Amino acid sequence: MAAAGKADARVPTYARAVVLLPAALFVWFSTMIPAVSGGAVLTWEIAWLPQLGIAFGFIVDGLSLLFALLITGIGTFILLYASEYMRGYPQVDRFTLFLVAFMLSMLGLVLSDNLIVLFVFWELTTITSFLLIGYTHEDAAARRSALQGLFVTAAGGLAMLAGFILLGQAAGTYSLREILADPGGLVGHPDYLVILILILCGAFTKSAQFPFHFWLPNAMAAPTPVSAYLHSATMVKAGVFLLARLTPVLGDTEVWMATLTIFGAVTTVYASAIALTRTDLKQVLAYTTVMALGACVMFLGAPTRAEAGEPSIGLIAAVTFVFVHALYKAALFMVAGNIDHEAGTRELPQLGGLRRLMPLSFFAAALAAFSMAGVPPFVGFVGKELLYKGALAWPAEPYVAVAAIVAAKIMMVTAALLVAVVPFFGSAEKLPKRAHEAPWTMWIGPVVLGVVALLGGMLPDLTAEMLLLPAAAAVMGYQPDYEVKLWHGVNIPLLLSVFTVVTGALIFWKRAVLLDALRSAVQRLPLTGDRAYDAVMTWIADLAAWQTRWLQGGVQRRYILVVFVTLGLSVAVTLVARDAVVLPAAFPEASFVEWSVAALIVAATFVTLIADSRLLAICALGVVGAGVALIFLLFGAPDVAMTQLLVETLVVVIVAIVLLKLPDFRGERRPTARGRWRDGLVAGLVGVSTTLVLLAVTAEPPQQAITDYFEETSMPGGFGRNIVNVILVDFRALDTLGEIAVVAVAGVAAYALIMLRPRRRTRPDTAGRPDRKGAAS
Amino acid sequence: MDTASLTTSLIAALPEVFLACAGIFILMVGVFSGARATHTAMLLSVAALVGALVLVLFGPSRAAFAFNDLFVNDGFGDFMKIVVLGAAALTLIISFGYIRREQLDRFEYPVLLVFAVVGMLMMISANDLISLYVGLELQSLALYVVAAFRRDTLRSSEAGLKYFLLGALSSGMMLYGMSLVYGFTGTTSFTVLADHFAGQAAAGQELWLGALVGLVFVVAGLAFKISAVPFHMWTPDVYEGAPTSVTAFFAAAPKVAAMALVVRVLMGPFGAWVEQWQQIVVFVSIASMLLGALAAIQQTNIKRLMAYSSIGHVGYALVGLAAGTEAGIRGVAIYMAIYVLMTIGTFACILCMRQKERMVEGIDDLKGLSKTHPLMALALAIFMFSMAGIPPMAGFFGKIYVFLPAIEAGLYALAVIGVLTSVVACYYYLRIVKLMYFDEPAEGFDRPVGREVGAVIAGTAVLVLFFFVAPGPLVDGAAAAADAFFAVAG
Repeated sequence: MAAAGKADARVPTYARAVVLLPAALFVWFSTMIPAVSGGAVLTWEIAWLPQLGIAFGFIVDGLSLLFALLITGIGTFILLYASEYMRGYPQVDRFTLFLVAFMLSMLGLVLSDNLIVLFVFWELTTITSFLLIGYTHEDAAARRSALQGLFVTAAGGLAMLAGFILLGQAAGTYSLREILADPGGLVGHPDYLVILILILCGAFTKSAQFPFHFWLPNAMAAPTPVSAYLHSATMVKAGVFLLARLTPVLGDTEVWMATLTIFGAVTTVYASAIALTRTDLKQVLAYTTVMALGACVMFLGAPTRAEAGEPSIGLIAAVTFVFVHALYKAALFMVAGNIDHEAGTRELPQLGGLRRLMPLSFFAAALAAFSMAGVPPFVGFVGKELLYKGALAWPAEPYVAVAAIVAAKIMMVTAALLVAVVPFFGSAEKLPKRAHEAPWTMWIGPVVLGVVALLGGMLPDLTAEMLLLPAAAAVMGYQPDYEVKLWHGVNIPLLLSVFTVVTGALIFWKRAVLLDALRSAVQRLPLTGDRAYDAVMTWIADLAAWQTRWLQGGVQRRYILVVFVTLGLSVAVTLVARDAVVLPAAFPEASFVEWSVAALIVAATFVTLIADSRLLAICALGVVGAGVALIFLLFGAPDVAMTQLLVETLVVVIVAIVLLKLPDFRGERRPTARGRWRDGLVAGLVGVSTTLVLLAVTAEPPQQAITDYFEETSMPGGFGRNIVNVILVDFRALDTLGEIAVVAVAGVAAYALIMLRPRRRTRPDTAGRPDRKGAAS
Repeated sequence: MDTASLTTSLIAALPEVFLACAGIFILMVGVFSGARATHTAMLLSVAALVGALVLVLFGPSRAAFAFNDLFVNDGFGDFMKIVVLGAAALTLIISFGYIRREQLDRFEYPVLLVFAVVGMLMMISANDLISLYVGLELQSLALYVVAAFRRDTLRSSEAGLKYFLLGALSSGMMLYGMSLVYGFTGTTSFTVLADHFAGQAAAGQELWLGALVGLVFVVAGLAFKISAVPFHMWTPDVYEGAPTSVTAFFAAAPKVAAMALVVRVLMGPFGAWVEQWQQIVVFVSIASMLLGALAAIQQTNIKRLMAYSSIGHVGYALVGLAAGTEAGIRGVAIYMAIYVLMTIGTFACILCMRQKERMVEGIDDLKGLSKTHPLMALALAIFMFSMAGIPPMAGFFGKIYVFLPAIEAGLYALAVIGVLTSVVACYYYLRIVKLMYFDEPAEGFDRPVGREVGAVIAGTAVLVLFFFVAPGPLVDGAAAAADAFFAVAG
């Protein structure tokens, strides 16, 4: 990757200047801290789609302010970092544009007041993520990952849209402010479960919860600034944000708590185990990100009030952990990028000895890793204590929560050691190129974030009061009365902390044996999300290919087959649904002549089907028509019989003439035996269902008005007994005149066409190939 | 019919009468003018379509019913007519250069299209099974001919023949259904039928079986015209085989007219029996969305891709109809209008796909378009994002406006399947974006693309992209259309 960058390329001015945008936004949002931490909620609004009740509104409360500060603050360093990292890459302008577009969409997402607007921004982050992952588009893996991320998150997002619409319908408004103002109204709603499932689909796909987690590690194909920003600090937190945002209205129910806890716990343990099996630095970080997201989701499943009205420590822990994780993970990703950039590899087995070569990166990595491992006095320690406390306060069965979080945290410590120790100690011999410290633009971000993590831990009450508790208040729906401290004295969480760090370090020490065992265990997992995704994609492609080959193969006979199958089925279904199937009498009364005509029709039909030449088939078909005419004759409708016979004769003659011009059956694909059975089945279906319709319809008394009218008026009005004749020449005389006129005009036109032919034959230059200029020339 | 009512009727159908007369006039001009016949006829046809549009918008006030109630004028009809006329005019404008270069320049081409549009206007305003059928056949016959307009290629002739055969079959089914309805109710007038059925429903009776079977056949016939699954089979072959300018026309105006007709028939006479046809519409809608999404994935020809895409879009529009409510009809109207914009824009781009004086149709030919034709690539990307239903493009709002009523009507399964299929559909729309922006450029397309085509691409792209800024006019118009329709239909 580093090879793509050219060290001597100039950093474009705009790439540096654009850093001012997030920096200014950060300062602007910082000015809101005093008001918001005092409990105020700031709003802006303009009307947009008034017909649907959709307004373009923004709201700033504790939760959205925390996210806004993270997005703009980390965004500042990322843009600065990217300006250096992407030096010499093609189309840096486009990259910068996408990154800024992403940042603004993400801001819009966390600040939106309206659900639909929120969804629009949600999808915009998906698209920009797609464009950024696929940025190195000459790489097939990058293209695949980009598409995979897009599908998984867009699918979830659309399910979420359905959930939003149902939520809006149930609440009577799409404004989050109004929905949040009336919590409790939705929990008892009949659609609650559907709403919850659909919205969880969106949140879980976006925040990479098991079993949808697979897209996130694959997304690491993106350039490192993107991984650091989108896929660890901000975008993947959107699902967590949404869950936190909706906790006051949707939370506190059995299913909410159970679902979030189970999915979160499985994700966090599973992902931390996978993280240890990876050797690529970015992959390790990616899986620890999934682990952190799982922990956040799990803790959002805590009840909003602990027993005895105490504030919910679980929710405070979730919010705190979002903040803690964003700080150390962005820093570690940037350090990983530095290592990749300067040392030429991200593979742990090759790395080593960078401590002296890259001291500042090492410093930043150490700070961040301490925070990640949860060592005092870093803010990570505060976060971890809260997690343990929250898990211990779990309402039912705290052991599950405690076990999950302790197991995950142990592996997290090991992962932190892997990331911060392995590349920097040991020998530097295996490095592909001579490493040196990255330029200041690339180490300043991680160092500052690491220092913030340190300061945040040393001044826990300030951090909590300014940022964390207001955010937790927005999640819980009330102002919590809680004091965040670094040192709570010796208690169970502290003992757990000591246990975690020691065990994690032990695993790291014995990693050669233990991690190999873990790796071989993981490889035996039968079905992973990634494989399932591939299977689904292949299946869809196969289905599409089958459709094109079989249904849409260009064979007209098959098209007609489909039409008739549908018709036969829909008629049959209608009959069955109406319970209107009338079976014919077993032996209807009929004379010998009638039976003979029926037998003639059946025999002729059979001949049509098995005929070997077209001419025979059309003649047999003519016999069928003639048989039908005979039936009309037998039942006293000589005029109809007459018409039928004439039409039938004409059809046979015309078709026979056409057939003379066509080649015979030779050279044409003959239907196979199976094909004939199929055709016969379809024909039978249509025939039987049509017959049943006739029987059923005639069993009902039809509307007699028309027949009565013509019976009564044909003699006095038209002086004729033959009703059909009277209709033609009296009641509809003008229509008949029109018909005759049309036939005459058509005849003239046909004559003109026939007369045209010989003249065209005489032109040898156009005889061979059809006339291109046509009548215009 | 006395003179006074005949005059009123003729004025009520003034746009149709004007367009029909214009068609005959252009035919005469074409016959009697020389080498420039086609160009003149094309210009005159566009002028005639615009003239009819002006008459619909600003013409004298027209009576609601005309020709003994065979013909109806209402807000719904006016809205749909505006969309149809606009779509027809735009597709004619973008095909100027194409038919000249491809040596299709015969003056019959625009004349046939004008007559087809007359048929569409009649369909939209039909208030009787008979006038419906006449309008439909006028449209279809003209379209059969233009589908096979390039007689010297096998594909085009085959397309025309297939279209004709399946079209005749569907017309036959529809006529059979109509005769059943007529036989059981004794009338063909939509107004009388509506009263009849409403009374029957109010009395708590069941719909006659004969009329119900008739309804099934009529819906099957109509489904063919809007190319809904399983009557869609002709669409990919015809779209691919027909000359591209004809395909562009097929994808736009007739779709809108046929959809208007479906709404007119189902909500008008059969409005009282929503629950009877709702299942059919739901089934057809789901099948269309699924097939449109899945089948398009493997396509390599952009015209075939657009055929599947149009099948899918018909499925989405039907979601609104399935709701059977006023909001649903509004959704259908909005969806069709937005669909037409996206489709015409896309086809304008397809008409520019020429390399070395030859048309190309492969999706792979779009590779690297962002480097060779950045503006066209941008426009096409906007259309693709919009068709995929990704906000903030217009297509997203079209989907919102049809899905909301369906959810309100409790059709959750339909909405969920619709959402899932749009995810699958994203795959092939975004693949085009990927090809244009991520892949190395293939050979660039010929220049110049033509001023009129460029203007249409730019105009439609801007409308699709910035629809969200001012959605008011279209939404209000569609709401008025749905409202007027309900008011007339009772």
